[in-house]
Amino acid sequence: MKAFFEFLKNPFYRVAGYTSLVWGVVGIMASTAIAFVGGVHFHGLLHYGGAPNGAWWCFVAEHLVVWLVPSVLIYLLALFCSRSHVRPVDVLGTVAFAQLPFVLLSLFMALPPMREVATIQSVQAVDALLTDTPRLLVLVWIGVVSLLLSIWVLYWLFRATSVACNLKGRNLWIVFIIGAFGGDVLCRYLIGLCY
Amino acid sequence: MMNTSETKKRLPLRCPACEAQLKVSKLVCDRCGTEVSGIFDLPVLTRLSEEEQRFMLEFVKASGRLKDMAKQMGVSYPTVRNYLDDLIEKLNNMEES
Repeated sequence: MKAFFEFLKNPFYRVAGYTSLVWGVVGIMASTAIAFVGGVHFHGLLHYGGAPNGAWWCFVAEHLVVWLVPSVLIYLLALFCSRSHVRPVDVLGTVAFAQLPFVLLSLFMALPPMREVATIQSVQAVDALLTDTPRLLVLVWIGVVSLLLSIWVLYWLFRATSVACNLKGRNLWIVFIIGAFGGDVLCRYLIGLCY
Repeated sequence: MMNTSETKKRLPLRCPACEAQLKVSKLVCDRCGTEVSGIFDLPVLTRLSEEEQRFMLEFVKASGRLKDMAKQMGVSYPTVRNYLDDLIEKLNNMEES
C-alpha cells in the first residue's frame, strides 16, 4: 500500500521513456474517445467545456495540442536550463503519463448534469438551475472533483518536468510555469483556430 | 547480544563536533603493528555516502549501462541518470574544494 502511494506521489521515479509514452498515448486515446462521445472539449491544458465544432478531428486535435505544446515547451526550455542530457522520449512520455487523470476528467465532464449545463443558452434556464438546489449540488460536486483532477495533472506535470529534465529549485519552477501556464495560453490560441 | 567483532562499523566522514570533513591521522598494520602518523585527506570516493558508493559500484559492475542499472534497481532511466549527474557534480565540487 505504501509503495502504491509512493507511486502516486511520483510515478516517474519508476516509469519514464517508452513505457510512460505507451501508457500516456493509450490514456490520450481513451480520453479523446470519451470526450468525443460526451461532447467534452479541451480548450486548453486547464480549460474544458462545450464548443461549436463537434467534428471528430477537432477532439483529436485538442488532445494532441494539449499533449504536444507543453511537451515541446518543456523540452526546449530544459535544453537551456538543465545540466543533464534530456531525451525527447522522456519528456513526451512523462507529460503524456501526467495527463492520465484527463481520462477521469473527461468521464466526469461527460456526465449528464455537466452536459446539460454546457447546452444552457437562456437566462431563464440559468435561473431555473440556480433554484434547483439538488441539481446545483451535483454540479458543484462534479466541479470540485474536476478541479482536483486538474490539480492532480498539474502536480504530475511538475514531477514529470523534474524527473525527465533533472531540474530542481528555481529552474524547475521556471520551466514548469512556462510549460504549464504558458502552454495553456498557447494551447488555447491553437485550439481556438479549430472553432 | 551482538559481539564487538560482528558490529559493522561505518567510517565517520564528518566531525561530530563541528561537522568539518575528517582527515586520516593514523594508519596501522594489524599484522605487525606498524603505525604511520600524519594528516592525510580521505580519497574522494570514500567521502561519498554509503548509498552513493553502492551506486558507483553498481555503475562499474554494469559497465556504465544506465538502462541495465535502471532495470536492476526497478526505477526509470532518468531517475538513474539524474542520480549519476548529481553525483558527478558532487565529485567535481569535492575535487575543486
